[in-house]
Amino acid sequence: MNFELSEEQKMIQQSVERFVQENYDLPKRVKLSSQDPGYSKDYWNSMAELGWLGLPFTEEVGGFGGNQIDTLVIMEQFGKGLVLEPFLANIVLGGGAIQMGGSEELKNEMLSSLIEGSKQITLAYAEQQSRFDLEDVATSARKEGEKYIINGQKSMVLNAESADHLVVVTRTNGGQVDEEGITLFLVDSDSKGLERNNFPTVDGLRASEITFDNVEVNSERMIGDPDKGFSILRTITNNAILALCAEAVGAMEVLYKDTVEYTQQREQFDQPLSDFQVLQHRMVDMFMEYEQCKSLLFRATMETIQDPSMAQRTIHALKHLIGKSGIFVGENAVQLHGGMGVTEELRVGHFFKRLLVIDSQFGNADFHLDKFTKF
Amino acid sequence: MDIELSSEDLAFRDEVKAFFDENKMKDGEDYFSWRLGWFKKAREKGGWDVPKWPAKFGGPGWTPTQHYIWEQETARAAIPFDLPFGLGMLAPILMSYGSEEQQERFMPDIRDRKVNWCQGYSEPGAGSDLANLKTKAVLSEDGTYYTVNGSKMWTTLAHVADWIFCLTRTDDSGIKQQGITFLLFPMKQEGIEVKPIITLGGSHTVNTVHFTDVKVPVENRIGEEGKGWTYAKGLLEHERTGLAGLSRSLVEVEQLKDNARSVQRGNGTLMDDSSYKSKVAELEIDLMATEYTELRSLANAAAGEELGPESSILKLKGTEIKQKIQKLTVEASGIYSPAWGDGGVGYPFAKGGTGGYLNSRYFTIYGGASEVQKDVIAKKVLGLTKGSKK
Ligand SMILES: Cc1cc2nc3c(=O)[nH]c(=O)nc-3n(C[C@H](O)[C@H](O)[C@H](O)COP(=O)(O)OP(=O)(O)OC[C@H]3O[C@@H](n4cnc5c(N)ncnc54)[C@H](O)[C@@H]3O)c2cc1C
Ligand SMILES: Cc1cc2nc3c(=O)[nH]c(=O)nc-3n(C[C@H](O)[C@H](O)[C@H](O)COP(=O)(O)OP(=O)(O)OC[C@H]3O[C@@H](n4cnc5c(N)ncnc54)[C@H](O)[C@@H]3O)c2cc1C
Repeated sequence: MNFELSEEQKMIQQSVERFVQENYDLPKRVKLSSQDPGYSKDYWNSMAELGWLGLPFTEEVGGFGGNQIDTLVIMEQFGKGLVLEPFLANIVLGGGAIQMGGSEELKNEMLSSLIEGSKQITLAYAEQQSRFDLEDVATSARKEGEKYIINGQKSMVLNAESADHLVVVTRTNGGQVDEEGITLFLVDSDSKGLERNNFPTVDGLRASEITFDNVEVNSERMIGDPDKGFSILRTITNNAILALCAEAVGAMEVLYKDTVEYTQQREQFDQPLSDFQVLQHRMVDMFMEYEQCKSLLFRATMETIQDPSMAQRTIHALKHLIGKSGIFVGENAVQLHGGMGVTEELRVGHFFKRLLVIDSQFGNADFHLDKFTKF
Repeated sequence: MDIELSSEDLAFRDEVKAFFDENKMKDGEDYFSWRLGWFKKAREKGGWDVPKWPAKFGGPGWTPTQHYIWEQETARAAIPFDLPFGLGMLAPILMSYGSEEQQERFMPDIRDRKVNWCQGYSEPGAGSDLANLKTKAVLSEDGTYYTVNGSKMWTTLAHVADWIFCLTRTDDSGIKQQGITFLLFPMKQEGIEVKPIITLGGSHTVNTVHFTDVKVPVENRIGEEGKGWTYAKGLLEHERTGLAGLSRSLVEVEQLKDNARSVQRGNGTLMDDSSYKSKVAELEIDLMATEYTELRSLANAAAGEELGPESSILKLKGTEIKQKIQKLTVEASGIYSPAWGDGGVGYPFAKGGTGGYLNSRYFTIYGGASEVQKDVIAKKVLGLTKGSKK
């Protein structure tokens, strides 16, 4: 049993921490988020130069052969600054799919430019009717000679506005909710018949609704085997859950610490708010939720590295707890800040909004609780 | 004990319903002229434009049951929007503590919805500890006017208000609750600066307000100098019950269920999902109990008892319920809950849902934060003060 990070991981942790401290105060974040493309291209390039974008990829394609712990280390620090750059969409989801299922040509073509930061790829999987069910895929891909023709719709696609390519989850066989018969394709986002409706999300990030109207894609652009895409989808979304939960843990740490600090400074009734026992206990509860989330995050991450096929139940547990606790910590951070907590001026509200969004991504607390009970 | 509505009450309910039906806004009608017309007709019904005002001041003089019926029906019907500040907050103070002259001067414009008021109580250093307020008012040597200096914070709609009712400090030699003076003055004058505070949903409703040498004639003082705390306190209890909004919540829960039924899940809808369904059920049970807590409090009021600590129970429960409704709306929105901006994607109800949830967070902060309400119950009802050892 060892919870220590390696020397290399500690170095990454420190450098990401420093980056966030130096570059991500609230006014800066608000400014970046409100202007196109919704994050900083300069920061993205720095992240590439620092090697962070290559961390989870194999050395053959120019990466560093890292694992989910390396991603955890980065995402937890990102969570402390609500970093806007699209690491999750590109590195964990888009890049993850290609690394896992892409042909050699596709890997060579895509991954080095992804690692350099010159190309962007995201994942388009959810649909209006699917809600959180990964296997519920109606968007169809019909084979025509060497090509496939895609028709359908995808919802809430992260960072699609900036993406050069989309990993599109399609149905090539079977019924609408079968795991079998799902196929992944890499589609250029400027393809004919593909339309993006981009919009901001409440946490200051961006997403898109996408429609596919007879979009053609060459069969060489298939990721993984035909009809067998579900296991890739499952793996990369599990990794995304681990990454998001690490981000959430970072955000929760900021919230409980900010609240402790604020209640020590703010005086009412001639004493600091922190003197009121009911508030002390509430902050203890917030702190305990944070610690519990961190424990389960470590557990789920380490189990995944050991044997992904055995980790599914823990991943459901983790996403459930993070959803519930994240909102608990967020709501109480706001409550204990009083009126100041509901202003855009203090960062607590922004962290709270991010935790609210995290609960809605890749399955909310209820969804994962239900899955957990079915194991 | 008897919950049957009398035949008079039933007739009253029909009359209220019929009135709302007859005076609906017509297609293409201008909202503002409809609104004024609506209030005029309500007035002709015998004070229906100011339902909460006592008969002595032109209100309808209803029984508690009639008030209850009115609340239920207004929550369901589309009636014109009203702000609470003049009608529900200042007017009761004028009735209890204002001079006859002040009543005649201010109440007709409040009634005609001509003048918008804002509430200038909270300050940067005076939130839960309201009596800690520091905005200074100094009486001129000749005793004809006050000069006001200081800052108010969180002032809702100060940027569109014509007048403010304001707590000021005229004496800081005694305990905090003494030396507070209640003043009324116009907002559009030199020396008043209003700055927006942007809240979580990105909206602008609250403000900071700075006063620099604002002159207020003594005729605009309510009651005696230094007694403002007493006047304001009674009002705070009114404000609390008003904030519970139970009849509105009853309607919103129905809406919540309709929304959930519009979300397809497999062969059924989200309302068939066992955990979602349970959460809605718990919410409804809470609401059922709270409704009767409100009725019991109304009955006490009818028996001539003072509005007391049950207003704190109602505020606590009522706001928790409102927050839960919003939370469950966000959950029903599923993957679409983060969508923001003008786009409007996913379910039709998703767009407003997340904004509504964020705004609902301040229900447990304003009008006396929940922790402070519980302090009130602990002290006033359970008798728990320091040194209350038996
Ligand atoms: C089954 C059992 C086994 C035990 N075994 C041992 C043992 O082996 N050795 C030993 O030394 N003791 C033992 N104890 C005693 C135990 O440590 C005491 O019960 C405990 O310290 C609480 O004291 P109390 O029962 O007098 O309750 P009180 O101290 O009177 O507390 C009553 C309530 O008030 C609350 N309270 C008290 N102080 C505060 C505060 N400052 N702020 C907020 N709330 C407060 C408490 O949480 C509790 O809810 C045992 C008790 C039990 C029930
Ligand atoms: C949207 C909005 C609109 C508003 N509109 C108006 C308006 O129109 N006019 C106006 O005058 N004011 C208005 N207010 C102000 C509102 O009344 C105050 O925000 C409220 O009284 C709380 O004060 P505070 O924000 O300073 O929080 P604080 O008093 O600093 O409280 C912070 C936290 O500490 C807790 N706390 C404080 N004291 C205690 C205690 N003794 N024991 C335990 N816990 C405690 C609180 O419960 C809260 O959780 C508005 C506020 C908001 C958010």
